[in-house]
Amino acid sequence: MSKKVFEHPVAQPGEPTGPQYWRSLEERNKSPEFRTRAEREFVDGASQITTVERREFLMLMGASFGLAGLGLAGCREPRTHTLPYAKQPENTIPGIATFYASSFPGEFANQPLLVETHQHRPTKIEGNPSHHANGTASSKFAQASVLDLYDPDRAQASYGANGELLSLAASRDFLRSLSAEAKANGGAGLVFVARPSTSPTRARLVASLKSNLPQATWIEYTPVAQNQAELALGYRVLPEYAVARRFLSLDADFLGSGDGMVEATRAYASARRADSAEQAEQMARLYVVESTFSITGAAADHRLRAGSSQISALAALFAAEVLAQTGKGSEAAALRSKVSGVKVDEAWVKECVADLVAHKGKSVIVAGNHLSVEAHRAVQLANDALAAPVKYLASGVKVTAALSAVKSAKTLVILGGNPVYDAPADVNVAEAIKSAAKVVRWGYHGAAFDETSAAVKAAGGVVLAASHYLESWSDGRTLDGTYVPVQPMIEPLFPTLSELEVLSPFAGVTQEPYALVRETFNGLSANKSDEAFAAWLAEGVLAKSSYAVITDRLSTLPSGSFAAPELSETNLEVRFVPSIHSGDGLYANNGWLAESPDPLTRTCWENVILISPKMAKRLEIEPEPMVINEYIGALNRNINQISAGKLLCRVAKITVGGATIEGPLFIMPGLADYTLGLQLGFGRRVAGRVATRVDERLAGRITGNGFNVYPLVETAQAAFRAGVKLTLVAKSVQVCNMQDHWSMEGRDVVREGSAEDFKKNTNFAKLGIDGHAPAVYGKDENLSPAEKAITTPRGNSAYEHPDHSVAPNVAVWKGHEAEFPKLQQWGMSIDLNTCTGCNACVTACQSENNIPVVGRDQVLKGRNMLWIRMDRYFFDGREKPGMEIPTDPQVTFMGVACQHCETAPCETVCPANATVHDDQGLNTMAYNRCIGTRYCANNCPYKVRRFNFLDYNKHEAGHYYEGPLGPAKLPKDPADLPQLQKNPDVSVRMRGVMEKCTYCVQRIQEAKIHQKAHARNSADIRVPDGALKVACQQACPAEAIEFGDITDPHSRVAKAKASSRTYGALTYLNTRPRTTYQAKLRNLNLRMPGAILLPLSRKEMEGREGHGATHGAGHEVGNEHASAPHGEAHHQ
Amino acid sequence: MRKLLEFLNRPASRGNFFSHSINAAPLQIIVCLLITGVVVVAAINEYATNKYLNVGYTPDQPVAFDHSFHAGPDSVLGLDCRYCHNFVEKSGHSNVPSSNTCWNCHSQIKTDSPALALIKRSVETGEAVRWVKVHKLPDFVYFNHSVHVNRGVSCVECHGRIDQQAVVGQQKSLNMSFCLDCHRNPELVLRPLDKITDLSYKTAKPEDQVEQGTKFVHDWKVNPPQSCSGCHR
Repeated sequence: MSKKVFEHPVAQPGEPTGPQYWRSLEERNKSPEFRTRAEREFVDGASQITTVERREFLMLMGASFGLAGLGLAGCREPRTHTLPYAKQPENTIPGIATFYASSFPGEFANQPLLVETHQHRPTKIEGNPSHHANGTASSKFAQASVLDLYDPDRAQASYGANGELLSLAASRDFLRSLSAEAKANGGAGLVFVARPSTSPTRARLVASLKSNLPQATWIEYTPVAQNQAELALGYRVLPEYAVARRFLSLDADFLGSGDGMVEATRAYASARRADSAEQAEQMARLYVVESTFSITGAAADHRLRAGSSQISALAALFAAEVLAQTGKGSEAAALRSKVSGVKVDEAWVKECVADLVAHKGKSVIVAGNHLSVEAHRAVQLANDALAAPVKYLASGVKVTAALSAVKSAKTLVILGGNPVYDAPADVNVAEAIKSAAKVVRWGYHGAAFDETSAAVKAAGGVVLAASHYLESWSDGRTLDGTYVPVQPMIEPLFPTLSELEVLSPFAGVTQEPYALVRETFNGLSANKSDEAFAAWLAEGVLAKSSYAVITDRLSTLPSGSFAAPELSETNLEVRFVPSIHSGDGLYANNGWLAESPDPLTRTCWENVILISPKMAKRLEIEPEPMVINEYIGALNRNINQISAGKLLCRVAKITVGGATIEGPLFIMPGLADYTLGLQLGFGRRVAGRVATRVDERLAGRITGNGFNVYPLVETAQAAFRAGVKLTLVAKSVQVCNMQDHWSMEGRDVVREGSAEDFKKNTNFAKLGIDGHAPAVYGKDENLSPAEKAITTPRGNSAYEHPDHSVAPNVAVWKGHEAEFPKLQQWGMSIDLNTCTGCNACVTACQSENNIPVVGRDQVLKGRNMLWIRMDRYFFDGREKPGMEIPTDPQVTFMGVACQHCETAPCETVCPANATVHDDQGLNTMAYNRCIGTRYCANNCPYKVRRFNFLDYNKHEAGHYYEGPLGPAKLPKDPADLPQLQKNPDVSVRMRGVMEKCTYCVQRIQEAKIHQKAHARNSADIRVPDGALKVACQQACPAEAIEFGDITDPHSRVAKAKASSRTYGALTYLNTRPRTTYQAKLRNLNLRMPGAILLPLSRKEMEGREGHGATHGAGHEVGNEHASAPHGEAHHQ
Repeated sequence: MRKLLEFLNRPASRGNFFSHSINAAPLQIIVCLLITGVVVVAAINEYATNKYLNVGYTPDQPVAFDHSFHAGPDSVLGLDCRYCHNFVEKSGHSNVPSSNTCWNCHSQIKTDSPALALIKRSVETGEAVRWVKVHKLPDFVYFNHSVHVNRGVSCVECHGRIDQQAVVGQQKSLNMSFCLDCHRNPELVLRPLDKITDLSYKTAKPEDQVEQGTKFVHDWKVNPPQSCSGCHR
């Protein structure tokens, strides 16, 4: 019998197919190199040894066996010890996690958190559901912050002016003497540089500092100011995202970046859910005007590209249109006359505003924080005219001295941040440090790993080690001002000081931070009792403590004018955005963030210069058409060029006002034509082991990942800068990019439609390829999801499906099976409609499941270990022959982890039975059985299995290949610090073992055990819905993920799966995935220019509904299509 | 076979250096190797297991705590297991008691006994006592005490008669088949919840245990996990 080769269904000639989605330009162009790469089981290089020669390999192997022989000397395992507490601490039960309420300190807003600790060792960050606006969600930065606590490169001691070690007591003495000295002359010449903070206690200390030392200067500086508009206006503008149904974002990435991202996403998502025609009618609509591609832009229904330098003027134009359409003609004309130099599609503005006005009271314009204050005033006028749901809050924020004031410092105190690295080019902080007589630096990284600390040490200053927020007392306020604690849950790992401890001597107070926080609490809380304080710490939020709403504010026409510079090929603009990997550079040494791919570019470990397709073509780096495709014609794709399976980018030089930087060019469809996107936070000169290149470090050099953008930043132009020239450099570099790793080869896995389509046919997602392929459930199609899950029906298959849920498998139950309640069956539903691609789930998964960080060189080999692959698909349905790279694609995100197929292809090929089904529908991985054949990864159609090619947990990056001869991470080695973060409930995997999403089996087991242990001698053993949340679900700000028992029709997941938008990916393979998706909806305004084409897959969707020309349009659309006989009939 | 023997015993040709009998050597070597192989495999199978390597492992402890004196109804003091291992019903780990648990009583009695010097020092300095671990499961096994003791499985099933041991040693093999035996036939071990820590408990007649266990399995809906995910994560 010959081997049967499965052919994925392909469309017949003349038959419209599903939309063509693509994850990279190579995939879109179907380049031969992409094909060969996609067809490989692993990325080229992933399964080959490249750095070690054969002889060397044999030598190492010999040595390994020798050492293994030594290890066999004793037959029994080594003697181990149990060390109980000498005195049992209160509320601590070994083996049970304790959760502490705290918050993630932000510069604009704190994120309320619950921190999971295992015997007082913080291991995982969760959102605090007591704060309803956040729920259980948290951002990826908050998730990753627990790893920073165990940063092996963090400052572990303080050093004095002569480099001598300072004990904690000596550090405090030093600060006291310094403040006494300053007190003598009223603080003249004393300058503080700190990061902004939301802490009322710190604000109190700063106030007393100012009265204690009236001559001292207090500077708050951050390179990515989130409160710029707030400072200029004097109050905080907080749109009520949950109330509004029409949003217009003007260069505001409220879903993607900033401290308010979780609250905004959660509220926005709640306005986006639609499972019926009525709900689709009520669905929110998002208009975005922006220059670079942001998360918010990717979520937009209608997106307008415009340079950032034009958007302030555009804001005035939109505001004028709103005024005009709400009957304020004279004001509108006055405002419009101030605007000059803007080129924009008038129809876009008009129709967009018409929609906003039509939803008066439920529409809001969100202005980017970096827009001019005049633009903000214009937007407020418009919002007033729209009766927009916006709260104006008295946040009490105060303008501080500018950073340029450091020049006058005699005594300079630098608190946190890293101003030597991230200060604008026009302020020379390094020079100020040199010229000051005394410098004190309080920082998280010492002189070896931080530019500012290094400069301070070189200038003979004092470098004090900072505590992590999980080690210190403080407080803060959330986006709306709710008062939240920052409480320690572990003794400081090293002798370090908190910011409050450093500040208090200068403020003339002697209390400990705990007492200071208590005092602040007394000032803010109505109930000042100890019980109230304890309740606040336990709950994590103080009720009714939000900022007061302002009623009287300035509401007049802005006085200034709005002139937009004209951008061109020779006058480009650069837009600076904080990197998703390192923020503004503060998180640069965090491995989880460094390795989690950028949602839109899918790059990691470095930054790139984003360039629009139009500009890329104009650069004429080319022209060497490499791909000739019937749809696209000859295409120059030399910029994002693939060579030997690696992304190779041309290097370019950016020059503006005398400053020059160099970096790789990355074509980004959807970028404004003359905007270059630059991510801050890379190219560190003095930094830790994650922020710098391993290969360079082993060669004795320090080279930061990526390139430094700060030389282009100026105080007045911190968000964008025009007048930029771009020139090519005659070289190319490899860029670390995951976009084509684990490709699904363009198969029809993404489904989307417009809300209009959905209202007509709520079942649109069920069609498509499932209609073409043999029906998977055949005659059993109409069983309920519960029956399908429990019985594994055979359908029309000739083979009998093994029943995985043979419960109960206990001798006594034989013959009495019916008396036993059916086991719960776990399943997941992911709503693509609310998912914004923010990556919080990816980091949460990594944190929960002990997923190792592999490093840049390993990612380049295709060995990344992330269990959730957040796929980003581009699509442009306007493609026609001869068309170039699309400039206005639409974007869809799809998180793919193990689908837990009921008939899993991986299980049948495992020779060791290491991956098998359990009786509750989980596709389990028994690591101790796995022998690393990798057959399962080869046979997985979803490409979600990850293999430990090397011992990522045992050895340090750069030493993976040396085996037992390389430096091991010793328990005393600081490199081993991150091991303290490991979740004790999950095995740490070793080399040669396959792994993948387990549906957080440890949490499932914990929930079951908890339920059974409390059931005792009763039969109440079913885990109630909601008692169990998996890590990605818990972290998701959009609440896009539901998980639970699919046999319970009342569970949230069963309801989600019952949605008419639900579909499974590649179900025609009869994999029967337990994870299903809910199709994305785009809420279109059909009056908008070009909307008739949107979503760009609309045409294909229509073809799909009618099965195209070959099958005629006479078919009724609906359920009938998914039914078995129908689907089969088509294939005869 | 006959032909083979004939071939092996065929007369040696004149002038051969080796004797005639050498022709049988290859077969003898193969047979010997086979026997050796079988014996080695069987031996490893039998002896390189927990049953032989770990059962009876009785390490000396830093403090010679005598369970048979303190614990169980037949002992001198008659303490319940949960007096010291107090989190066993709540947590996956059954905790080794902290030093101050010892000091609850020993601050009153035998306070200055040299046998208790380490405990005394621990209480005074806060330094932990380094007890030697006896029952050790591999790192990839996640055993949970609370779910067992709350659902009718006694300590004695895995630990044996600790209440009769002066020095604690491992009495059961604790390998995977040991676990699965019970998970497949829980009716053989389930007992009333008030008898969990009564290590000497037995039903009146041995066959009563099956009857009682079967009733508990039915009433409590007992279905111990047998999938990998039950214990391996």
